[in-house]
Amino acid sequence: MRDRRARLKLPSSQDAVSVLVLVFCCVLVLYPMVYLVVLSVNVGDPLTFPPEELGIEHYQDLLESWQVIANTAFVACIATVMAILIGFLAAWALTRTQLPGVAWLERLMQLPYYMTPLVGALAWSILAAPRTGFLNQLWHAVGAGGDLVNAYSAWGIAWVMALFEGTVAFVMISAAMKSMDPALEESARVLGAGKWRVMLTVTLPLVLPGVAGAAVFVFAEMLGSFAAAFVLGIPARFVVITTAIWQAVTMYPSDYGRAAALGIGLFAVMFLTLSLYRAAIRRGHFATISGKAFRPRAMQVGRLAWILFALCLAYVIAAVVLPLAVLLLTSFERFATVILPQAEFTLANYETAFGFTAIRLALTNSLILGVGVATVGVAIMTVLVWIIYRSRAPGHGAIEYLVMFPQAVPRLVFGLALMQVWLIIPIPIYGTLWLMALAYFTVLMPLGVRTLAGVALQIDKSLEECARVCGASWGYRMRTVTLPLMRPGIIAAWLLVFIASVRELGVSIFLVGSNAKVIAPSIIDAWLSSSSTLSSALALIQSAAVFIALTIMLHAARRYSRELP
Amino acid sequence: MSGGTIEITDLAVRYGAVPAVNGISFTVGQGEHVTLLGPSGCGKTTTLRAVAGLEEPVGGSIRIDGETVFSTAQRRNVPTERRGVSMVFQSYAVWPHMSVVENVAYGLRVRKLPRAQVAEAVERALDLVQMRSLADRSAALLSGGQQQRVALARAIAFSPTVLLFDEPLSNLDAKLRAEMRVELRALQRRLGVTSLYVTHDQEEALAISDRVIVMNVGGIEQIGAPEDIYNRPKTRFVADFVGSANLIGGRITAAATTPGPVNFEVAAGLTLQAWAAHAPHGNESHVAIRTAYIDMGSFTPDGKDNCASGTIRQRLFHGDFIQYIVHWPGGELTVRRPPTELFDEGAAVTLSFAREHCILLEG
Repeated sequence: MRDRRARLKLPSSQDAVSVLVLVFCCVLVLYPMVYLVVLSVNVGDPLTFPPEELGIEHYQDLLESWQVIANTAFVACIATVMAILIGFLAAWALTRTQLPGVAWLERLMQLPYYMTPLVGALAWSILAAPRTGFLNQLWHAVGAGGDLVNAYSAWGIAWVMALFEGTVAFVMISAAMKSMDPALEESARVLGAGKWRVMLTVTLPLVLPGVAGAAVFVFAEMLGSFAAAFVLGIPARFVVITTAIWQAVTMYPSDYGRAAALGIGLFAVMFLTLSLYRAAIRRGHFATISGKAFRPRAMQVGRLAWILFALCLAYVIAAVVLPLAVLLLTSFERFATVILPQAEFTLANYETAFGFTAIRLALTNSLILGVGVATVGVAIMTVLVWIIYRSRAPGHGAIEYLVMFPQAVPRLVFGLALMQVWLIIPIPIYGTLWLMALAYFTVLMPLGVRTLAGVALQIDKSLEECARVCGASWGYRMRTVTLPLMRPGIIAAWLLVFIASVRELGVSIFLVGSNAKVIAPSIIDAWLSSSSTLSSALALIQSAAVFIALTIMLHAARRYSRELP
Repeated sequence: MSGGTIEITDLAVRYGAVPAVNGISFTVGQGEHVTLLGPSGCGKTTTLRAVAGLEEPVGGSIRIDGETVFSTAQRRNVPTERRGVSMVFQSYAVWPHMSVVENVAYGLRVRKLPRAQVAEAVERALDLVQMRSLADRSAALLSGGQQQRVALARAIAFSPTVLLFDEPLSNLDAKLRAEMRVELRALQRRLGVTSLYVTHDQEEALAISDRVIVMNVGGIEQIGAPEDIYNRPKTRFVADFVGSANLIGGRITAAATTPGPVNFEVAAGLTLQAWAAHAPHGNESHVAIRTAYIDMGSFTPDGKDNCASGTIRQRLFHGDFIQYIVHWPGGELTVRRPPTELFDEGAAVTLSFAREHCILLEG
């Protein structure tokens, strides 16, 4: 028996598995996009496939809606500038200066990431609505005329997006700042350069690739964002590409060709921007990252420390505390108002949320999807990570590229593509949770795989090889060595995928059916039927689910960081 | 524990297009401890990993205990886990999520041995490496030296026929390394297990091996007992890499064709009485003289094989020995003497060395 098994060598089962995985990823990731491209050049009947007539009319139409494109670019640009300002200031303050309570502040600074742009947009629409908004009421109360702020504008959208993306920029820029060898600065000091001269001639140039990388990355994310532009832009008739796609699909009759062309155009720009980002970090890599973790020496900045401290705190308040507080207040009101003496307090919104069948169903569905996609998805992603980073299977580079590909596709565009594909594929899962699950899995693959890979790459290869030498088969090895060592990564990936599923909006909005409602689109629906009280309650319930998962994750991370030094 | 044999024939390994091992052959006898010695990148670790089945060779065959585990001719490649070998890794590869006992018991549990038998074997292995007192400790809390012992206990616990060592001592500090060297040698003798050992440390190789295989750029330079390798280096590479030697260029004068005494002309008027371990082919260009084998003093040169006078250029005090750079008719000579033999820089000295220590190199 030993002989026969030993002889089965060349094209091994591993090769076959990796080819299968490659094909599977292709179908999952590339096929919808190819279909969308075809749809965008289909000028005949949009519901026949393959198309009868091809043409570029849809793209020519885009040029006429130049206003939409200009709007998108404008919002993305100012939001990126704001987010990078927030991120850079906070990163510099927290890694390079002596602030009080740095460790504590650093954890707080990451909280905004777990708020969604949808929640932020809802809250700020209440906080800064013209005339009735909380801030404008305050403004009037002190006797000033006119409005202080208007959330329903390009600036409002950019502000909400910047609050959300600021923490992303913060994490990326502070990583660049932390990984810089302090010896580089110290040698400049030794050679006689002063504090500020070192900052200008050594620190800044070295950190610049990191900052540029963050800017490009954030810009790409802004291009594809939907929620804030939807909540704050539609009432102001300020349309960006994502909301234009939504309008093209939901109007009657739907203009799928236009939606597809808009989607492909947006995808192309985002893809280019992210490629630029990849190139930027690859070049920046050599300058600062040397593989070791440093604690750079902090600068004495005197009284400036308290100003920086206050700025960081103000950011967290604007991005997390204020939105949650105003949503909490609104969710207990019968009519949305910020003038407390006029408010009528009630539990009716929560009764509706948990009692009204359609909404209760959406809540349960979201939880089912979250748990299901996280459980099954992370199991598959673990195998993917093993194939990509551990096996020497041919084509593992191609698999990695495909797995990371959805990152470059705006969620809304991917949802549109999936909707179109599954309308014509004769497998009846359109409008069911199954399709949602498949879609979630695909778009969350980069997130899960990146989290798992971060842990997998830290595991010394010889730990697995040693198990082989000890005589353990592949399955035994996985069970006793690989998986236990990857457990912290698996737990983190599970929770991150769960969180992302529960708050998913972009893909969901086109895929929900009457029997497959999920929470984020329900919040939008509630908001559209002008019930900001109910949508506040729903947004809070969604945030609660996210924050519970987050707490578990932080707790688990602490436990494992103690266990595995 | 009885050992198996390892027979390697024409083994070739490539990384992509880069050859790592170029068709080497050697055998390791039952219970023998053989060391692959060479600089980094010489293919020694690759060879070891090929024996373990962790690298797939492109040519040749590997037989362990009489059974072919790899052969390109027979299209046969037994996976690592069914080769019955055991290995100690350079990084120790002690699993941090298990206790010491769980680590050591792993190979036994894989083989589904009864609980009592596992416990007994684990205890025996831990006793051998003196780690019994830490049996229940989490492996993540061990020091480097302790991890090294656990890795060793784990490797011997399931009584493998062949034990492979991949630079097991290279991550220890110098003092601990010297101690472990002694222990490893004692353990290997006691167990009588066949071992293939990889190191770039020539002292370690000479100290613990029955035979040493010196490798360079994917090929074998010389195979022999440690004393052979040291006293009778075959090539310039071996003479230079193992121990410290003076390499002196020149040519043999009389065309000797059998192993034994030869005369080697270094320069006009300076001919050394050398020794050929091989049948000379006439175009040898170097002899090697170990720095420790050169006598130095103010004696009168009579009845000695090779004698010359010289001047001390430089003295470096190393503690265990003193290294002198001596100017002599053949150029410069490095000489190592015990710290008791102290000479001043600039002193005139007489040098002498025996014919058997002036080795004619093959290439």
